[in-house]
Amino acid sequence: MRGVLRGLVSTTSRMTVVDLEAGLEHLSRGTARHVDTLLLIAEPYFKSLEAAQRSFTLAKDLGIGQIYMVANKIRSPRDEDTVREFAGRHTVGIAGVIPYDPAVLEADERGTAVMDQRPEATSVAAIRRLADHLPTTAA
Amino acid sequence: MKIAVGGKGGSGKTTVAGTLARVLAERGQQVVALDDDSNPNLAVTLGLPHGQAASLPAIPRDWLEEKPDGEGGTRLELKVPAEDFIDRFGQPAGQNLTLLVMGQPSHGGSG
Repeated sequence: MRGVLRGLVSTTSRMTVVDLEAGLEHLSRGTARHVDTLLLIAEPYFKSLEAAQRSFTLAKDLGIGQIYMVANKIRSPRDEDTVREFAGRHTVGIAGVIPYDPAVLEADERGTAVMDQRPEATSVAAIRRLADHLPTTAA
Repeated sequence: MKIAVGGKGGSGKTTVAGTLARVLAERGQQVVALDDDSNPNLAVTLGLPHGQAASLPAIPRDWLEEKPDGEGGTRLELKVPAEDFIDRFGQPAGQNLTLLVMGQPSHGGSG
């Protein structure tokens, strides 16, 4: 399947959003060559940030151009500071800060999309802001 | 833009990937969402009814070709244009948005 994924990402004229296998170890060099933007989701806890750091190093080795962290499940200014401080130490930009949102768990439990379950949810608004901040070069 | 979303399992990666794909599609971009997770859940975040998203069926052999991988072996590569593949195997997930679940069905019964 790696060859198929690589072929699709590299040659489609559409925008692509790939939900990667957790950990990034399965991301082939061939596919990574064609990914221009990698978003690493991290929660404000040591293990999550440590995993993001490993993924960040792997992604840099693969030559991905734009790598950003996205802070997720943020419950307080202190949570946000934890992620920002970590990102600063590793000189990686933060593309978005998504608050902890009970609507996400609710949608998960119901097997629905949070965007349908609660379109005004704070997490959805944060993801819209994330989309605003991504470079809007042609796909 | 070719975006990939990574993160630890449970970090919210799939929710972000799926919701972001829908936001971009809403804004008029043609988007293909690719679920490369071995536990594929992207379909739900795209608003597809539970159980509707299917993994890719067997791909016709003449759509693939063996090519040297530069390390003494070969790998299967896509031979047809991406758009043909997406049109054939992609699942519509709303305006401007198509889903492809990359995993193949497991051989020993469903997991």
